[in-house]
Amino acid sequence: MKKKMSAHEKKRRVKYFFVHVGIIIFAGICVYPLLRIFSISLRPGDKLFSTDLSLIPAGASFTAYRSLLKDTMFLRWLWNSLVITLATSLIGVSLASTAAYAFSRFRFPGKKAGLILLLSSQMIPAGMLILPLFLMIMKLKLMNTYLGMIIAYSVSSLPFSIWILKGYYDTIPRSLEEAALVDGTSQVGAFWRIILPLSTPALSIAFLFNFTTAWNEYLVARVVLFSAKQYTWTLGLFELQGQYITQWGMFAAGSMLVTIPVLCVFLYSSKWLISGLTLGSVKG
Amino acid sequence: MASVQFKNIVKKFKDNVVLNGVDVDIKDHEFVVIVGPSGCGKTTLLRMLAGLEEITDGEIFIDNLLVNELHPSKRQIAMVFQDYALYPHMTVEENMSFALRLRHTDKAEIDARVTEAANILQLGKFLARMPRQLSGGQRQRVAIGRAIVRKPKVFLFDEPLSNLDAKLREEMRVEIAKLYQRLNATIIYVTHDQVEAMTLAGRIVVMNKGIVQQVGSPIEVYRKPANLFVAGFIGSPTMNFMSGKLFLEGEALYFKNEEIKISIPPYLLSDSGKHDGREVVLGVRPDDVLVERDGEKCSDKVQGILEVCELLGHRENLYLKVGNMRVLATVEAFFNRSPGSGVTLCFNYKNMHVFDKATETRISE
Amino acid sequence: MEILKSIYEVLWFIFLIAAGVAALEGYFYYHFRYWERGWFFPVALAAFPAAALVLSGSVLGDYTFRLWFYFLLAEAVISAAFRYMVKGRHTVPYLLLAPAFVGLALLLVYPFVFEVLLSFHDLKLTTIMMWKNTGSLPFVGLSQYVKVFTTSPLSEITFWALLLRTLVWTFTNVFFHVAGGFALALLLNNQIRFKGVYRTLLVIPWAMPQVVAVLAMRGEFHSQNGFVNIVLVKLASAFPFLAHLGLGPVQWLSDYPLATCMLINVWLGIPFMMVVILGGLQSISSSYYDAADIDGASYLQKLRYITLPLIRPVLMPAITLGTVWTFNNINVIYLVTGQSGGTEQADILVSALYKAAFTYNRYSYSAAFAIVVFAMLFFISVFYLKSFDAAKDER
Repeated sequence: MKKKMSAHEKKRRVKYFFVHVGIIIFAGICVYPLLRIFSISLRPGDKLFSTDLSLIPAGASFTAYRSLLKDTMFLRWLWNSLVITLATSLIGVSLASTAAYAFSRFRFPGKKAGLILLLSSQMIPAGMLILPLFLMIMKLKLMNTYLGMIIAYSVSSLPFSIWILKGYYDTIPRSLEEAALVDGTSQVGAFWRIILPLSTPALSIAFLFNFTTAWNEYLVARVVLFSAKQYTWTLGLFELQGQYITQWGMFAAGSMLVTIPVLCVFLYSSKWLISGLTLGSVKG
Repeated sequence: MASVQFKNIVKKFKDNVVLNGVDVDIKDHEFVVIVGPSGCGKTTLLRMLAGLEEITDGEIFIDNLLVNELHPSKRQIAMVFQDYALYPHMTVEENMSFALRLRHTDKAEIDARVTEAANILQLGKFLARMPRQLSGGQRQRVAIGRAIVRKPKVFLFDEPLSNLDAKLREEMRVEIAKLYQRLNATIIYVTHDQVEAMTLAGRIVVMNKGIVQQVGSPIEVYRKPANLFVAGFIGSPTMNFMSGKLFLEGEALYFKNEEIKISIPPYLLSDSGKHDGREVVLGVRPDDVLVERDGEKCSDKVQGILEVCELLGHRENLYLKVGNMRVLATVEAFFNRSPGSGVTLCFNYKNMHVFDKATETRISE
Repeated sequence: MEILKSIYEVLWFIFLIAAGVAALEGYFYYHFRYWERGWFFPVALAAFPAAALVLSGSVLGDYTFRLWFYFLLAEAVISAAFRYMVKGRHTVPYLLLAPAFVGLALLLVYPFVFEVLLSFHDLKLTTIMMWKNTGSLPFVGLSQYVKVFTTSPLSEITFWALLLRTLVWTFTNVFFHVAGGFALALLLNNQIRFKGVYRTLLVIPWAMPQVVAVLAMRGEFHSQNGFVNIVLVKLASAFPFLAHLGLGPVQWLSDYPLATCMLINVWLGIPFMMVVILGGLQSISSSYYDAADIDGASYLQKLRYITLPLIRPVLMPAITLGTVWTFNNINVIYLVTGQSGGTEQADILVSALYKAAFTYNRYSYSAAFAIVVFAMLFFISVFYLKSFDAAKDER
């Protein structure tokens, strides 16, 4: 009996060894490009185009970072992105949270039409709405401003956020609000005091989704923003890449600087993200 | 404390009629249990009283005040939900004081009331905990505590014990009974469990298919069920039903079907001439099926075959077969016969119930 | 100072938007409250235009009269809706929905309708000045739609070839996303050490900003300095027989742009599917597998008869979304090939559409094009969702 057990154990060990090997290979493929960017950002200016594969290049230095921060408006670009992104995410999440509540808890004429509108908005091809948005922003005289960008971005993630939040609200038992109604809140009060505090995970997911969408956007930004001072970091990085020769060093340094914070936020919230994404769909 | 009146309450979801003209008067300080199978509309009725469900037609009065259009919080009621509905992001204390805080009650007053309720329910140790750190029974107590703190005119309980296991359910049943004696409040309690209804109620309202079948004290409902549904729903094990015909033989009235013929005494059905040829259902509770017994309360003898014995302890369930009819008898242990043997049984005359087959209503006294 | 100024600016916007929402809510609230009164209809009908009149001089500028007209139209529609449809019921849900849906109407539906109208006219580089000066455009009926199917959006390729390429692109990508995601999820779903670390590393492509990720990957496919070719060269020199078989550096970006884009997009898309599938796998109760073990099922049989059917409800919506996103994915192709002088061999429908509008300035044509693409996406997803509903009914 004992011998048999150990054979079993041995088989399991072998299996897990291969599982580890497989995962490590895939993980390598996933991480390597990021490490390459890091390594390029450390290269001294004359070795940018080497075929060296080592991660810490010979003569590594932070000159690229220094010149990025000193010679370009990178910090300003980051700030612009941050302002626009935070404002749009706040607006997007607050509008979505109330709208999703209406969809989750009430029956009213036009509910189905509204949901279909939300779904079909996901089918609008990328780039289709840029021209009319551009014309609108131009007529409102908001070209090259934060407000113009915020207006253009604010509803872009709204349908998806409403969808996620509705899925989450649907899982909160109705009796909680009913108890609150009996206790003396209004319907809106029950939403504010009971549902919203309970929905922090879903609200964070919606916020994260709004945030990443706006943070990475460049198609609209390209047509609305035209002075380098107002650029978002995406446009700024294009600028570095686009001139006669690509400033690879600075480009890589900039990429690292924008990636690291987003990566941290994303990884920190990834657990919620998983549950939030699957929750709505499992409930169907 | 207050009285509650339902006047001709109707509830429709689109074309689906859930409640069809419910009329119930509930007096001050009364413990009323609304009982019925799931889907009979009992919870809907309670939620309409609480103001959580729109009233299609009819009127509801609390303390002689029409509350149809009143917001739930203005009705001075408190409700204990089936799933407790404790706010997961608040501690026990915050849960209990939520309603008072909404009303900007004095802080000292809130503390006093919460402490009092916690003492009654032995929740003192748990006030700082979150609901998810509590067991099912403790959550149940918190839910009741949340209602007590409000000092409402009417307490509403919506199947509060259905999520507990059997042992806890018994304990909590006793707790609720004690609580009623202590608070002496008007309580409306909805359940599908007829044991809860029998043990807790001052008065029982039996409902089925959106209609009130019978209103009465537990003993009335048990002894004199108004119709076939109530007779079958109340009492455990379920009453035996035998369909057949009444006919007159001389002065005496007899019940007869293919298997048995039993005389019906005049104190059960007076005015015997009227009933000749009537299609009826005869109902006898298993306790009133007497096996191998004699005596003046015993009806005419019937021959049956013992199929299965179930020993419950001091009682024993006997599954008998009379011709093609199945009859359940509950007798005292130990009935030492092997399955397959023939037995003689009779019914307790006094506790026989006769129902009209067409209208399903009771016609015996 | 600059920063202070921008903070001030942002606070001002937030105030502006909050005030807008408040005004909107108040406006709707009074509709709900007084819709039955006799004076309501005329007063409501006058309110919006009056507000527009007050604002007109300072804020609205040249468009006063047109906006006046729009406001009046909107007001008439809203008041009529209140009078004949809503009838003062459902106050709370409409008040909750109002801000989001007004936003969607202004910034999503209106632009969409604008594009639809544009597709029946002819706006291009040669007519844009005329439009600017006179405000009118030649009406061309359906001819833009005819052109979508008959002429090329770019310089050489036809619509049908593009469609075929898009379908190949979409299905290849989604297939590898699901297959790769499934494989990784199965690997991760074991009771192994470092699971959290592995998962963290594996979602990095998804977590990175897409612009950075794609541009970095593009660098790796560079003919001399890219990682891929460096490895290929080293392999070829280390094992000469491989070089004889034809292994050597490949001009990825100029010779095989579509394949390059696909490789990059597969790399980008696997983590999302992995995460979704992993979530589904973890929700399957292990008792099913125990029961199957007792029944003597092999690993593959368990996969076929337990895992696949049980994660289907998670998988189907994810695949639908993935298909739409991939069909609609402009980032990878535009970032890899979109810069000036870039190749057109990798373009799919949406990227061609973007280029037709903003590189070739054929606005009306691209609007018609976009609507055709929208219709296709719509039907694909309706089909997917229908089959998903059918699967749900089976259970």
